[in-house]
Amino acid sequence: MNLRRLRLVMWKELLQLRRDRLLLPLIFMMPIMYVIMFGYVVGSDVRNLPTAVIDNDQTAVSRQLVDAFSSSGYFVISARPSSEASLQPLVDAGQVKVAIVIESGTEASLARGETVPLGIIVDGSDSKTASVASGYAAEIVAAFDQKLLASAGHAMGGPTIDARVRVMFNPSLKSVNAMVPGLVASILMMSIMVIMSQAVVRERARGTLEQMMVTPITRAEYLTGKVLPYALIATVQTVFVVLIGLYWFNVPFNGSVWTVALGLVLFTFTSIGMGLLISLVSRTQQQAQQTVMFVLIPTMVLSGFIFPIESMPAAIVPLTYLIPLRYALVVLRGAFLKGSGILDMWVQFAAMVAFAVGIFGLAVSRFQKRLAE
Amino acid sequence: MRAAMARVLAIARKEFIHIIRDWRMIVAVLVLPLAQLLLFAYAISFDVRNVPTVTLDMDKTTASRAYLDAYSKSGFFQVQGSVGDLAGIDDAFNRSQARVAIVVQRGYGDALAAGRTGSVSVLVDGSEPNSAQLGQTYAVALNQALGRQALATWADSRGMGSLHVGTLEPRIQAWYNPERKSADFLIPGLMIVIIMIVTVQQTAVTLVKERENGTLEQLLESPLTHSELIVGKILPWAALGVLDTVTITAVAMGVFGIPLRGDVLVLAVGIGLFIVCALSLGLVISAVAPSLESANISALLISFLPGFMLSGMAFPLESIPPILQFVSYLFPARYMVDIARGVFLKGASWDILLPQVLALTVYALVALGVATVLNRRQRA
Repeated sequence: MNLRRLRLVMWKELLQLRRDRLLLPLIFMMPIMYVIMFGYVVGSDVRNLPTAVIDNDQTAVSRQLVDAFSSSGYFVISARPSSEASLQPLVDAGQVKVAIVIESGTEASLARGETVPLGIIVDGSDSKTASVASGYAAEIVAAFDQKLLASAGHAMGGPTIDARVRVMFNPSLKSVNAMVPGLVASILMMSIMVIMSQAVVRERARGTLEQMMVTPITRAEYLTGKVLPYALIATVQTVFVVLIGLYWFNVPFNGSVWTVALGLVLFTFTSIGMGLLISLVSRTQQQAQQTVMFVLIPTMVLSGFIFPIESMPAAIVPLTYLIPLRYALVVLRGAFLKGSGILDMWVQFAAMVAFAVGIFGLAVSRFQKRLAE
Repeated sequence: MRAAMARVLAIARKEFIHIIRDWRMIVAVLVLPLAQLLLFAYAISFDVRNVPTVTLDMDKTTASRAYLDAYSKSGFFQVQGSVGDLAGIDDAFNRSQARVAIVVQRGYGDALAAGRTGSVSVLVDGSEPNSAQLGQTYAVALNQALGRQALATWADSRGMGSLHVGTLEPRIQAWYNPERKSADFLIPGLMIVIIMIVTVQQTAVTLVKERENGTLEQLLESPLTHSELIVGKILPWAALGVLDTVTITAVAMGVFGIPLRGDVLVLAVGIGLFIVCALSLGLVISAVAPSLESANISALLISFLPGFMLSGMAFPLESIPPILQFVSYLFPARYMVDIARGVFLKGASWDILLPQVLALTVYALVALGVATVLNRRQRA
């Protein structure tokens, strides 16, 4: 491999990037836009839900219950309609997302030792809010019951269970802490796949590939020179994302830089391989773009990046093992939040090595063959 | 006027032939959206189940086994196995083999039998906040039920008769979507995002391609006006967009059983306007982008990101910062998701959705105008 020729190919590639006045700004805007959107939109936590209370009981117990809801930080009591009929328009208009209905006679029934239903209405047209709100509500009611039970137990001299539920690694349960490590890998992959496949296909579509091949450049030099600039750009983007995550969103970093670096290097090879494979099967830039989308969307959905794998139906779960991002995600989240090391995550690393060797190797060998033709 | 019509149709026909010639394009436009819909609808949900769980039983009594058994039976926690000590839990978390660990402290069984307090702890891995949140909720609720059971058993064994402790029982109803099916909520929004991705991507490159191939100059030589060119370019894609919508709606209703409760006409008008908005956005990119690459990448940024993130399709927008709220109104998807969800789920009609329909109308006109002007400037 001749370094001078390699440098020249890279230089040509960078010049070509600079010639397009929109491309470079786009390349650097992309990660910033992604971090901001993911950080603020997907990473936003459902808090302060506007809540209506219909208190038909008006007793000490019902007030305690309402207090338990409003002091949780998840519900903000914003309306007190007199009946369910006047609740309807509030929910229809989206002014309240949750309603708590306390039947009259609740305190009296509790005192008699009965199980009393407590009505909780959530706006089911907003799935995430509905699921989170009903979870919080169930938790608050359970804690409330636990107190009733404990005091009754103590009064009787009976046993109680003291359950301490503790969240580790991310005690405030901030979604953004899990989002940013995932974003690092996603942006790396997206950027390499999108930008590189475009650049490689362009050369073929315009016929400049043949011109390159009549020069003394070797196939390996051409390939390396073509791939390296984009890998560098992706690295810069990744560093960008990490810095924004650490210093703007205050994501904790508990692990070792080397674990992250090794994971990212392996993942970069996989991404380059996928980008090359995409450019091999596409004849025009538009086709390349569509193929990228075809790969990108399932990757985003099935990797567990946005939607937890535990929420997927059993029939879908095996598919997730075919997604390289899945493993990168475990490695990055593990390293960022839990401080897991390479040995802890050897299964994931093994999978990533397999993907890197398999996909990158296949892509390079096919690409060399294509160039030889 | 008739001549203008003929010219528009000629361009539309030419564009249509381009599409038909490329079988991969047909696949991308007609088959991919359906595949995406199926994938999303099956895979996406916020209802977490089967969270991998490990247990640590330091008590090893009948009571502790019964306690841990309740977790296996809950359907939410999937007990993978037990570990011997606390280090085993650290290990399971570090290897990402478990998200929840349950520890029964020594003396739990004796404490319960003696009427004292038995201690347990539930550790939740917060690095996957969605699962962790629900894990926490389920653990609290499960412990409450188990506590009640323990007390009842104790009272029973003492011959104190049945337990009389009043407790509240949450009865949760989800309005508009009583079975809380994520698909009902997601599919109307997905439809919009998919259409947005397909249409913006396709039109973003059309003018750039003509420019790069040099065929734009040939078109310029013809008596064609700018607006005729734009309208002709949009027509076939609009037709395909409508075809996509109809197919997706049919699959949504037929396969997923999504209700269509409201006024179909509102939906049709809304979708029509939305498609024009999305196509115009694509044309704006096409007029501005100097190369196919930048056109493709901007299309990806403009369709994928705001479509997914800022449309309210999956993520509630109430809690995002005001500046992003504002940005979300700059993209047509936000209005259309309101319309689609309103019509499909809430049974809404003109009276409620008129503001959104008007917003889309204004948007369509402005975007189409901007696309024409930019295109004219580019050529001048």
